[in-house]
Amino acid sequence: MTEDNGKKWFKKGRTVLKVQYCPVCEKYIFFPRELCPYCLEVKPEWKETVGRGKIYSYTAVRRSSLPEFEDRVPYTYAMVELHEGIRIPTNIVDCPVNKVRIGMPVELAWIEESKDIIPVFRPATP
Amino acid sequence: MNISGTAAITGMAELKPEIDAGGRSSLGLLSEVAGRAIKDAGLKKSDIDGLLLTPPAEDSCFMWPAQVAEYLKMSPSYLNMVELGGASACAAVTRAALAVTAGLCRHCLCLSGGIWDSQVFNSREGKMAVMSRAEINYELPYGPMGFNSGYALIANRHMYEYGTTPEQMAKIAVDQRQNALANPDALFNKQAISIDDVLNSPLIVDPIHLLEIVRPCSGAAAVIISRSEEAIDMPNVPVYLLGMGEACTHNSIIYSDNITLSPVKFSAARAFAMAGLKPADMDLLSLYDCYPITVIITLEDAGFCKKGEGGGFVQSHDLTYRGDLPLNTHGGQLSFGQPSYAGGMSHVSEAVRQLRGEAETRQIENNRLAFVNGNGGVMSTQSSLILGRERNDRR
Repeated sequence: MTEDNGKKWFKKGRTVLKVQYCPVCEKYIFFPRELCPYCLEVKPEWKETVGRGKIYSYTAVRRSSLPEFEDRVPYTYAMVELHEGIRIPTNIVDCPVNKVRIGMPVELAWIEESKDIIPVFRPATP
Repeated sequence: MNISGTAAITGMAELKPEIDAGGRSSLGLLSEVAGRAIKDAGLKKSDIDGLLLTPPAEDSCFMWPAQVAEYLKMSPSYLNMVELGGASACAAVTRAALAVTAGLCRHCLCLSGGIWDSQVFNSREGKMAVMSRAEINYELPYGPMGFNSGYALIANRHMYEYGTTPEQMAKIAVDQRQNALANPDALFNKQAISIDDVLNSPLIVDPIHLLEIVRPCSGAAAVIISRSEEAIDMPNVPVYLLGMGEACTHNSIIYSDNITLSPVKFSAARAFAMAGLKPADMDLLSLYDCYPITVIITLEDAGFCKKGEGGGFVQSHDLTYRGDLPLNTHGGQLSFGQPSYAGGMSHVSEAVRQLRGEAETRQIENNRLAFVNGNGGVMSTQSSLILGRERNDRR
Protein backbone atom coordinates (compact mmCIF):
# COMPACT_ATOMS: atom_id res chain seq x y z
CA MET A 1 0.00 0.00 0.00
CA THR A 2 2.70 2.54 0.98
CA GLU A 3 5.53 3.81 2.32
CA ASP A 4 6.24 1.15 4.95
CA ASN A 5 3.10 -0.77 4.09
CA GLY A 6 1.02 1.79 5.95
CA LYS A 7 2.55 1.03 9.32
CA LYS A 8 4.52 4.24 9.51
CA TRP A 9 3.71 7.12 7.27
CA PHE A 10 6.65 9.03 8.63
CA LYS A 11 10.31 8.27 8.14
CA LYS A 12 13.49 9.59 9.61
CA GLY A 13 14.79 12.56 7.70
CA ARG A 14 11.48 13.34 6.08
CA THR A 15 10.65 16.99 5.60
CA VAL A 16 7.47 16.86 3.58
CA LEU A 17 4.21 15.36 4.77
CA LYS A 18 2.53 13.09 2.25
CA VAL A 19 -1.00 11.73 2.43
CA GLN A 20 -2.86 9.37 0.15
CA TYR A 21 -4.94 10.65 -2.75
CA CYS A 22 -7.32 8.95 -5.19
CA PRO A 23 -6.86 10.52 -8.63
CA VAL A 24 -10.17 9.08 -9.87
CA CYS A 25 -12.33 10.23 -6.92
CA GLU A 26 -10.16 13.36 -6.54
CA LYS A 27 -10.17 12.88 -2.78
CA TYR A 28 -7.49 12.88 -0.12
CA ILE A 29 -7.47 9.85 2.15
CA PHE A 30 -6.38 9.50 5.75
CA PHE A 31 -5.50 7.05 7.35
CA PRO A 32 -3.65 5.08 4.62
CA ARG A 33 -5.51 2.24 2.94
CA GLU A 34 -4.75 -0.38 0.32
CA LEU A 35 -7.63 0.82 -1.83
CA CYS A 36 -9.46 4.14 -2.03
CA PRO A 37 -12.39 3.85 0.45
CA TYR A 38 -14.65 5.92 -1.82
CA CYS A 39 -14.47 3.82 -5.00
CA LEU A 40 -13.01 0.61 -3.45
CA GLU A 41 -11.11 0.17 -6.70
CA VAL A 42 -8.17 2.50 -7.15
CA LYS A 43 -4.83 2.13 -5.38
CA PRO A 44 -4.23 5.56 -3.85
CA GLU A 45 -1.13 7.56 -4.74
CA TRP A 46 0.95 9.55 -2.26
CA LYS A 47 0.73 13.30 -2.58
CA GLU A 48 2.73 16.02 -0.86
CA THR A 49 0.83 18.43 1.33
CA VAL A 50 1.81 22.05 1.83
CA GLY A 51 2.32 21.28 5.51
CA ARG A 52 -0.05 23.95 6.77
CA GLY A 53 -3.46 23.86 8.32
CA LYS A 54 -5.54 25.00 11.25
CA ILE A 55 -6.57 23.49 14.55
CA TYR A 56 -10.01 21.84 14.27
CA SER A 57 -10.12 20.77 17.93
CA TYR A 58 -7.68 20.04 20.73
CA THR A 59 -7.34 19.03 24.34
CA ALA A 60 -4.68 19.57 26.96
CA VAL A 61 -3.71 16.18 28.36
CA ARG A 62 -2.92 16.81 32.02
CA ARG A 63 -2.68 13.20 33.17
CA SER A 64 -1.27 10.39 31.12
CA SER A 65 -0.92 6.74 32.04
CA LEU A 66 1.36 6.13 29.04
CA PRO A 67 4.90 6.00 30.51
CA GLU A 68 6.56 7.86 27.63
CA PHE A 69 4.09 10.75 28.03
CA GLU A 70 3.93 10.95 31.84
CA ASP A 71 6.76 13.48 32.15
CA ARG A 72 5.51 15.48 29.18
CA VAL A 73 2.16 16.60 30.69
CA PRO A 74 0.50 18.94 30.05
CA TYR A 75 0.70 18.54 26.29
CA THR A 76 -1.71 19.28 23.45
CA TYR A 77 -3.40 16.46 21.56
CA ALA A 78 -5.16 17.92 18.55
CA MET A 79 -6.97 17.39 15.28
CA VAL A 80 -5.48 19.56 12.56
CA GLU A 81 -7.34 20.26 9.34
CA LEU A 82 -4.73 20.40 6.60
CA HIS A 83 -4.90 22.98 3.81
CA GLU A 84 -5.86 20.03 1.56
CA GLY A 85 -9.06 19.61 3.60
CA ILE A 86 -8.25 16.39 5.42
CA ARG A 87 -7.96 16.06 9.23
CA ILE A 88 -5.20 14.25 11.08
CA PRO A 89 -4.36 13.57 14.76
CA THR A 90 -1.24 15.31 16.04
CA ASN A 91 0.43 17.29 18.82
CA ILE A 92 0.83 21.05 18.95
CA VAL A 93 4.37 22.01 19.99
CA ASP A 94 6.16 25.30 20.73
CA CYS A 95 2.96 26.67 22.27
CA PRO A 96 1.82 26.54 25.93
CA VAL A 97 -1.36 24.45 26.30
CA ASN A 98 -3.39 27.43 27.50
CA LYS A 99 -2.50 29.43 24.35
CA VAL A 100 -3.83 26.83 21.92
CA ARG A 101 -7.09 27.85 20.17
CA ILE A 102 -9.45 26.27 17.69
CA GLY A 103 -8.90 27.86 14.28
CA MET A 104 -5.26 28.72 15.02
CA PRO A 105 -3.07 28.48 11.87
CA VAL A 106 -0.34 25.88 12.29
CA GLU A 107 2.62 24.59 10.31
CA LEU A 108 4.44 21.30 10.12
CA ALA A 109 7.29 20.42 12.48
CA TRP A 110 8.95 17.08 13.22
CA ILE A 111 9.78 15.51 16.56
CA GLU A 112 11.41 12.30 17.62
CA GLU A 113 9.05 9.89 19.33
CA SER A 114 9.85 6.26 20.21
CA LYS A 115 12.71 6.11 17.69
CA ASP A 116 10.53 7.53 14.91
CA ILE A 117 10.42 11.04 13.56
CA ILE A 118 6.76 12.03 13.58
CA PRO A 119 4.96 15.04 12.12
CA VAL A 120 3.56 17.54 14.63
CA PHE A 121 2.44 21.14 14.26
CA ARG A 122 3.45 24.49 15.75
CA PRO A 123 1.86 27.93 15.49
CA ALA A 124 2.36 29.16 11.93
CA THR A 125 4.92 31.84 11.24
CA PRO A 126 3.08 34.74 9.62
CA MET B 1 -42.84 -5.04 8.22
CA ASN B 2 -42.94 -2.94 11.36
CA ILE B 3 -41.78 -4.88 14.42
CA SER B 4 -42.84 -2.13 16.85
CA GLY B 5 -44.41 -3.76 19.88
CA THR B 6 -43.87 -7.37 18.78
CA ALA B 7 -41.48 -8.09 21.65
CA ALA B 8 -41.17 -7.07 25.29
CA ILE B 9 -38.70 -7.13 28.16
CA THR B 10 -40.11 -9.75 30.52
CA GLY B 11 -37.23 -10.26 32.94
CA MET B 12 -34.46 -8.11 34.35
CA ALA B 13 -31.70 -8.28 36.95
CA GLU B 14 -28.68 -6.19 37.80
CA LEU B 15 -25.81 -6.64 40.25
CA LYS B 16 -24.58 -3.82 42.40
CA PRO B 17 -21.40 -2.44 40.81
CA GLU B 18 -18.20 -3.01 42.78
CA ILE B 19 -14.73 -1.50 42.53
CA ASP B 20 -13.22 -4.63 44.05
CA ALA B 21 -14.65 -7.80 42.55
CA GLY B 22 -13.31 -9.79 45.51
CA GLY B 23 -11.74 -12.51 43.40
CA ARG B 24 -14.86 -13.29 41.41
CA SER B 25 -14.84 -14.01 37.67
CA SER B 26 -16.77 -12.53 34.76
CA LEU B 27 -18.48 -15.87 34.18
CA GLY B 28 -19.38 -16.04 37.86
CA LEU B 29 -21.06 -12.62 37.75
CA LEU B 30 -22.89 -13.50 34.54
CA SER B 31 -24.21 -16.76 36.01
CA GLU B 32 -25.53 -14.95 39.09
CA VAL B 33 -27.30 -12.22 37.15
CA ALA B 34 -28.68 -14.74 34.62
CA GLY B 35 -30.22 -16.79 37.42
CA ARG B 36 -31.83 -13.71 38.93
CA ALA B 37 -33.25 -12.49 35.61
CA ILE B 38 -34.74 -15.91 34.82
CA LYS B 39 -36.37 -15.99 38.26
CA ASP B 40 -37.63 -12.42 37.80
CA ALA B 41 -39.32 -13.46 34.54
CA GLY B 42 -40.99 -16.42 36.27
CA LEU B 43 -39.18 -18.82 33.94
CA LYS B 44 -37.00 -21.89 34.31
CA LYS B 45 -33.52 -22.01 32.83
CA SER B 46 -34.77 -24.61 30.34
CA ASP B 47 -37.22 -22.00 28.97
CA ILE B 48 -34.34 -19.83 27.77
CA ASP B 49 -33.45 -20.77 24.21
CA GLY B 50 -31.79 -17.53 23.05
CA LEU B 51 -28.51 -16.15 24.40
CA LEU B 52 -26.93 -12.85 23.42
CA LEU B 53 -23.73 -11.62 25.03
CA THR B 54 -21.76 -8.45 25.08
CA PRO B 55 -17.99 -9.02 25.15
CA PRO B 56 -16.28 -9.88 28.45
CA ALA B 57 -14.03 -7.20 29.88
CA GLU B 58 -11.02 -9.35 30.62
CA ASP B 59 -11.53 -12.90 29.37
CA SER B 60 -10.82 -14.07 25.85
CA CYS B 61 -13.67 -13.22 23.48
CA PHE B 62 -13.07 -16.33 21.43
CA MET B 63 -16.30 -18.35 21.20
CA TRP B 64 -17.65 -16.28 24.09
CA PRO B 65 -21.32 -17.22 23.53
CA ALA B 66 -20.36 -20.89 23.70
CA GLN B 67 -18.10 -20.29 26.73
CA VAL B 68 -21.02 -18.69 28.59
CA ALA B 69 -23.58 -21.28 27.45
CA GLU B 70 -21.23 -24.01 28.67
CA TYR B 71 -20.64 -22.33 32.05
CA LEU B 72 -24.39 -21.87 32.51
CA LYS B 73 -25.16 -25.39 31.16
CA MET B 74 -27.51 -24.01 28.52
CA SER B 75 -28.10 -25.23 24.96
CA PRO B 76 -29.60 -22.26 23.10
CA SER B 77 -31.08 -22.42 19.60
CA TYR B 78 -29.95 -18.85 18.92
CA LEU B 79 -26.72 -17.35 20.25
CA ASN B 80 -24.29 -14.58 19.42
CA MET B 81 -22.06 -11.84 20.75
CA VAL B 82 -22.84 -8.21 19.99
CA GLU B 83 -19.83 -5.89 19.86
CA LEU B 84 -20.81 -2.25 19.41
CA GLY B 85 -18.90 -0.98 22.43
CA GLY B 86 -21.16 0.86 24.87
CA ALA B 87 -24.08 0.44 22.45
CA SER B 88 -23.83 -3.36 22.68
CA ALA B 89 -26.44 -3.79 25.41
CA CYS B 90 -29.14 -1.82 23.57
CA ALA B 91 -28.13 -3.52 20.33
CA ALA B 92 -28.44 -6.95 21.98
CA VAL B 93 -32.00 -6.04 23.03
CA THR B 94 -32.81 -5.13 19.42
CA ARG B 95 -31.36 -8.39 18.10
CA ALA B 96 -33.25 -10.36 20.75
CA ALA B 97 -36.51 -8.66 19.71
CA LEU B 98 -35.86 -9.60 16.08
CA ALA B 99 -35.07 -13.19 17.02
CA VAL B 100 -38.17 -13.81 19.14
CA THR B 101 -40.38 -12.05 16.59
CA ALA B 102 -38.97 -14.23 13.80
CA GLY B 103 -39.41 -17.35 15.92
CA LEU B 104 -35.72 -18.26 16.11
CA CYS B 105 -36.15 -18.50 19.87
CA ARG B 106 -38.87 -17.96 22.45
CA HIS B 107 -37.15 -16.27 25.40
CA CYS B 108 -33.86 -14.58 24.69
CA LEU B 109 -31.45 -13.79 27.54
CA CYS B 110 -29.23 -10.73 26.97
CA LEU B 111 -26.24 -10.88 29.31
CA SER B 112 -23.72 -8.15 29.91
CA GLY B 113 -20.90 -7.38 32.31
CA GLY B 114 -17.74 -8.69 33.85
CA ILE B 115 -14.75 -8.06 36.06
CA TRP B 116 -12.78 -4.85 35.87
CA ASP B 117 -9.05 -5.15 36.46
CA SER B 118 -7.28 -1.82 37.01
CA GLN B 119 -3.87 -3.26 36.11
CA VAL B 120 -5.07 -4.46 32.72
CA PHE B 121 -7.10 -1.28 32.19
CA ASN B 122 -4.15 1.04 32.80
CA SER B 123 -1.55 -0.99 30.93
CA ARG B 124 -0.39 -0.26 27.40
CA GLU B 125 -1.75 -3.68 26.38
CA GLY B 126 -5.11 -2.83 27.93
CA LYS B 127 -5.25 0.44 26.02
CA MET B 128 -4.18 -1.17 22.77
CA ALA B 129 -6.81 -3.88 23.16
CA VAL B 130 -9.55 -1.30 22.55
CA MET B 131 -7.72 0.46 19.69
CA SER B 132 -7.98 -0.18 15.97
CA ARG B 133 -4.80 -0.61 13.93
CA ALA B 134 -5.31 2.91 12.58
CA GLU B 135 -5.50 4.28 16.13
CA ILE B 136 -2.37 2.39 17.19
CA ASN B 137 -0.39 3.53 14.13
CA TYR B 138 -1.55 7.11 13.73
CA GLU B 139 -2.98 8.27 17.07
CA LEU B 140 -1.08 6.46 19.83
CA PRO B 141 2.28 8.16 18.94
CA TYR B 142 0.67 11.46 19.99
CA GLY B 143 -0.39 10.31 23.46
CA PRO B 144 -4.20 10.38 23.31
CA MET B 145 -5.85 9.42 26.60
CA GLY B 146 -8.25 6.90 25.14
CA PHE B 147 -11.90 7.84 25.37
CA ASN B 148 -11.14 10.78 27.65
CA SER B 149 -9.27 12.72 24.97
CA GLY B 150 -11.75 11.76 22.24
CA TYR B 151 -14.68 13.24 24.16
CA ALA B 152 -12.53 16.23 25.15
CA LEU B 153 -12.03 17.03 21.45
CA ILE B 154 -15.82 16.97 21.02
CA ALA B 155 -16.48 19.07 24.12
CA ASN B 156 -13.96 21.76 23.16
CA ARG B 157 -15.33 21.97 19.63
CA HIS B 158 -18.93 22.11 20.97
CA MET B 159 -17.96 24.98 23.28
CA TYR B 160 -16.32 26.76 20.32
CA GLU B 161 -19.23 26.29 17.92
CA TYR B 162 -22.17 26.77 20.28
CA GLY B 163 -20.90 28.51 23.39
CA THR B 164 -21.57 25.55 25.67
CA THR B 165 -20.11 26.25 29.12
CA PRO B 166 -18.25 24.14 31.70
CA GLU B 167 -21.09 24.89 34.18
CA GLN B 168 -23.70 23.42 31.82
CA MET B 169 -21.70 20.22 31.43
CA ALA B 170 -21.06 20.00 35.18
CA LYS B 171 -24.80 20.31 35.91
CA ILE B 172 -25.42 16.91 34.34
CA ALA B 173 -23.01 15.26 36.80
CA VAL B 174 -24.64 17.22 39.67
CA ASP B 175 -28.25 16.27 38.83
CA GLN B 176 -27.34 12.67 38.20
CA ARG B 177 -25.62 12.50 41.57
CA GLN B 178 -28.91 13.64 43.13
CA ASN B 179 -30.54 10.66 41.44
CA ALA B 180 -27.83 8.32 42.69
CA LEU B 181 -28.49 9.40 46.29
CA ALA B 182 -31.84 7.61 45.90
CA ASN B 183 -30.26 4.49 44.42
CA PRO B 184 -28.84 2.05 47.01
CA ASP B 185 -27.00 0.20 44.19
CA ALA B 186 -25.11 3.22 42.85
CA LEU B 187 -21.35 3.31 43.35
CA PHE B 188 -21.42 6.97 44.36
CA ASN B 189 -24.56 7.47 46.44
CA LYS B 190 -23.34 8.96 49.70
CA GLN B 191 -22.64 12.59 48.97
CA ALA B 192 -24.28 15.28 46.86
CA ILE B 193 -21.98 17.33 44.63
CA SER B 194 -22.27 20.94 43.46
CA ILE B 195 -21.29 22.55 40.18
CA ASP B 196 -18.30 24.06 42.01
CA ASP B 197 -17.29 20.62 43.27
CA VAL B 198 -17.22 19.38 39.68
CA LEU B 199 -15.35 22.39 38.32
CA ASN B 200 -12.87 22.31 41.22
CA SER B 201 -12.11 18.64 40.71
CA PRO B 202 -8.85 18.13 38.75
CA LEU B 203 -8.85 18.80 35.02
CA ILE B 204 -7.82 15.52 33.38
CA VAL B 205 -8.14 16.40 29.70
CA ASP B 206 -9.46 19.93 29.10
CA PRO B 207 -12.33 20.65 29.48
CA ILE B 208 -13.18 17.37 31.24
CA HIS B 209 -12.83 17.21 35.04
CA LEU B 210 -12.39 14.13 37.19
CA LEU B 211 -16.04 14.21 38.36
CA GLU B 212 -17.16 14.17 34.72
CA ILE B 213 -15.52 10.82 33.91
CA VAL B 214 -17.14 7.43 34.47
CA ARG B 215 -15.59 5.07 37.00
CA PRO B 216 -14.92 1.63 35.51
CA CYS B 217 -15.91 -1.19 37.87
CA SER B 218 -17.17 -4.76 37.98
CA GLY B 219 -20.79 -5.79 37.62
CA ALA B 220 -23.39 -7.41 35.41
CA ALA B 221 -26.92 -6.94 34.13
CA ALA B 222 -29.38 -9.09 32.22
CA VAL B 223 -32.72 -8.74 30.47
CA ILE B 224 -35.00 -11.36 28.95
CA ILE B 225 -36.89 -10.60 25.75
CA SER B 226 -40.04 -12.53 24.84
CA ARG B 227 -42.77 -12.19 22.22
CA SER B 228 -45.48 -9.78 23.33
CA GLU B 229 -48.16 -12.49 23.11
CA GLU B 230 -46.26 -14.43 25.76
CA ALA B 231 -45.36 -11.38 27.82
CA ILE B 232 -48.97 -10.66 28.81
CA ASP B 233 -49.17 -14.00 30.62
CA MET B 234 -45.87 -13.54 32.45
CA PRO B 235 -45.56 -12.13 35.99
CA ASN B 236 -44.05 -8.70 35.27
CA VAL B 237 -45.56 -5.62 33.67
CA PRO B 238 -44.33 -6.09 30.07
CA VAL B 239 -42.02 -3.36 28.81
CA TYR B 240 -42.65 -3.28 25.07
CA LEU B 241 -39.99 -2.52 22.49
CA LEU B 242 -41.76 0.14 20.46
CA GLY B 243 -38.84 1.61 18.56
CA MET B 244 -35.31 0.54 17.68
CA GLY B 245 -32.70 2.26 15.57
CA GLU B 246 -28.97 2.01 15.01
CA ALA B 247 -26.30 4.05 13.27
CA CYS B 248 -22.55 4.33 12.86
CA THR B 249 -20.53 6.94 10.98
CA HIS B 250 -16.98 6.31 12.22
CA ASN B 251 -14.89 4.35 14.70
CA SER B 252 -12.26 6.85 15.86
CA ILE B 253 -13.61 10.38 16.31
CA ILE B 254 -10.71 11.66 14.16
CA TYR B 255 -12.59 10.37 11.11
CA SER B 256 -16.00 11.84 11.88
CA ASP B 257 -16.88 14.53 9.32
CA ASN B 258 -18.39 16.70 12.04
CA ILE B 259 -17.40 15.78 15.58
CA THR B 260 -20.22 17.72 17.26
CA LEU B 261 -22.88 15.88 15.25
CA SER B 262 -23.29 12.23 16.21
CA PRO B 263 -25.00 9.26 14.53
CA VAL B 264 -27.65 9.53 17.28
CA LYS B 265 -29.30 11.81 14.70
CA PHE B 266 -30.01 8.72 12.59
CA SER B 267 -30.46 6.01 15.24
CA ALA B 268 -32.98 8.07 17.22
CA ALA B 269 -34.88 9.17 14.09
CA ARG B 270 -35.19 5.51 13.07
CA ALA B 271 -36.43 4.49 16.52
CA PHE B 272 -38.99 7.30 16.72
CA ALA B 273 -40.23 6.56 13.18
CA MET B 274 -40.70 2.88 14.03
CA ALA B 275 -42.62 3.75 17.19
CA GLY B 276 -44.67 6.54 15.60
CA LEU B 277 -43.64 8.76 18.51
CA LYS B 278 -41.65 11.93 19.03
CA PRO B 279 -39.17 13.15 21.66
CA ALA B 280 -41.80 15.25 23.47
CA ASP B 281 -43.81 12.05 24.16
CA MET B 282 -41.06 10.59 26.37
CA ASP B 283 -41.48 10.48 30.17
CA LEU B 284 -37.96 9.24 30.95
CA LEU B 285 -34.59 9.67 29.24
CA SER B 286 -32.00 7.00 29.90
CA LEU B 287 -28.94 8.15 27.96
CA TYR B 288 -25.44 6.71 27.83
CA ASP B 289 -23.31 9.14 29.83
CA CYS B 290 -19.63 8.26 29.82
CA TYR B 291 -19.12 12.07 30.05
CA PRO B 292 -21.58 14.98 30.30
CA ILE B 293 -20.87 16.04 26.70
CA THR B 294 -22.23 12.64 25.59
CA VAL B 295 -25.59 13.55 27.13
CA ILE B 296 -25.64 17.03 25.57
CA ILE B 297 -24.89 15.70 22.08
CA THR B 298 -27.43 12.89 22.49
CA LEU B 299 -30.18 15.28 23.61
CA GLU B 300 -29.53 17.50 20.58
CA ASP B 301 -29.20 14.78 17.98
CA ALA B 302 -32.19 12.78 19.24
CA GLY B 303 -34.28 15.94 18.84
CA PHE B 304 -35.03 16.84 22.47
CA CYS B 305 -33.69 20.33 21.74
CA LYS B 306 -32.21 22.18 18.78
CA LYS B 307 -28.64 21.51 17.63
CA GLY B 308 -26.23 23.51 19.72
CA GLU B 309 -28.76 24.24 22.49
CA GLY B 310 -28.06 21.17 24.61
CA GLY B 311 -26.09 23.13 27.20
CA GLY B 312 -28.85 25.66 27.79
CA PHE B 313 -31.41 22.84 27.70
CA VAL B 314 -29.87 20.93 30.61
CA GLN B 315 -29.40 24.20 32.50
CA SER B 316 -33.11 25.06 32.22
CA HIS B 317 -34.43 21.62 33.24
CA ASP B 318 -34.33 19.65 36.47
CA LEU B 319 -32.91 16.28 35.42
CA THR B 320 -33.64 14.53 38.71
CA TYR B 321 -36.39 11.98 39.33
CA ARG B 322 -38.40 14.79 40.95
CA GLY B 323 -37.78 17.12 38.03
CA ASP B 324 -39.49 18.14 34.80
CA LEU B 325 -37.11 16.06 32.66
CA PRO B 326 -36.11 12.88 34.50
CA LEU B 327 -32.81 11.75 33.01
CA ASN B 328 -30.67 8.82 34.14
CA THR B 329 -32.64 8.36 37.33
CA HIS B 330 -30.28 5.57 38.48
CA GLY B 331 -27.51 8.16 38.67
CA GLY B 332 -26.23 7.55 35.18
CA GLN B 333 -22.96 5.74 34.77
CA LEU B 334 -21.26 8.85 36.15
CA SER B 335 -22.64 8.03 39.60
CA PHE B 336 -23.87 4.43 39.20
CA GLY B 337 -20.49 3.28 37.86
CA GLN B 338 -19.51 1.69 34.57
CA PRO B 339 -19.42 -2.08 35.04
CA SER B 340 -17.87 -2.70 31.65
CA TYR B 341 -20.44 -3.37 28.90
CA ALA B 342 -23.15 -3.64 31.58
CA GLY B 343 -22.83 0.15 31.97
CA GLY B 344 -24.79 0.40 28.73
CA MET B 345 -27.33 -2.10 30.07
CA SER B 346 -27.86 0.03 33.20
CA HIS B 347 -29.81 2.51 31.06
CA VAL B 348 -32.11 -0.30 29.90
CA SER B 349 -32.59 -1.81 33.35
CA GLU B 350 -33.41 1.56 34.93
CA ALA B 351 -36.00 2.24 32.22
CA VAL B 352 -37.52 -1.18 32.91
CA ARG B 353 -37.72 -0.42 36.65
CA GLN B 354 -39.34 2.96 36.04
CA LEU B 355 -41.85 1.66 33.48
CA ARG B 356 -42.79 -1.26 35.73
CA GLY B 357 -43.20 1.16 38.65
CA GLU B 358 -40.48 -0.56 40.69
CA ALA B 359 -38.03 2.33 41.11
CA GLU B 360 -38.97 2.77 44.78
CA THR B 361 -37.97 6.13 46.26
CA ARG B 362 -36.89 7.49 42.88
CA GLN B 363 -40.03 6.36 41.01
CA ILE B 364 -41.21 8.94 38.48
CA GLU B 365 -44.93 9.69 38.30
CA ASN B 366 -45.54 9.61 34.54
CA ASN B 367 -43.93 6.38 33.44
CA ARG B 368 -45.44 5.29 30.14
CA LEU B 369 -42.60 5.87 27.72
CA ALA B 370 -38.80 5.90 27.88
CA PHE B 371 -36.09 6.79 25.39
CA VAL B 372 -32.93 4.76 25.94
CA ASN B 373 -29.68 5.38 24.09
CA GLY B 374 -26.57 3.25 23.92
CA ASN B 375 -23.36 4.83 22.69
CA GLY B 376 -20.15 3.05 21.71
CA GLY B 377 -16.63 4.34 21.19
CA VAL B 378 -16.38 8.10 20.85
CA MET B 379 -19.94 8.90 19.69
CA SER B 380 -19.40 6.10 17.17
CA THR B 381 -21.95 3.27 17.29
CA GLN B 382 -25.45 4.23 18.43
CA SER B 383 -28.39 2.06 19.40
CA SER B 384 -31.60 3.86 20.35
CA LEU B 385 -34.62 2.20 21.95
CA ILE B 386 -38.12 3.40 22.74
CA LEU B 387 -39.72 1.40 25.54
CA GLY B 388 -43.36 1.60 26.57
CA ARG B 389 -45.94 0.12 28.91
CA GLU B 390 -48.60 -0.01 26.19
CA ARG B 391 -48.09 -2.19 23.17
CA ASN B 392 -49.59 0.35 20.77
CA ASP B 393 -48.67 3.68 22.26
CA ARG B 394 -48.87 5.92 19.21
CA ARG B 395 -49.75 9.53 19.77
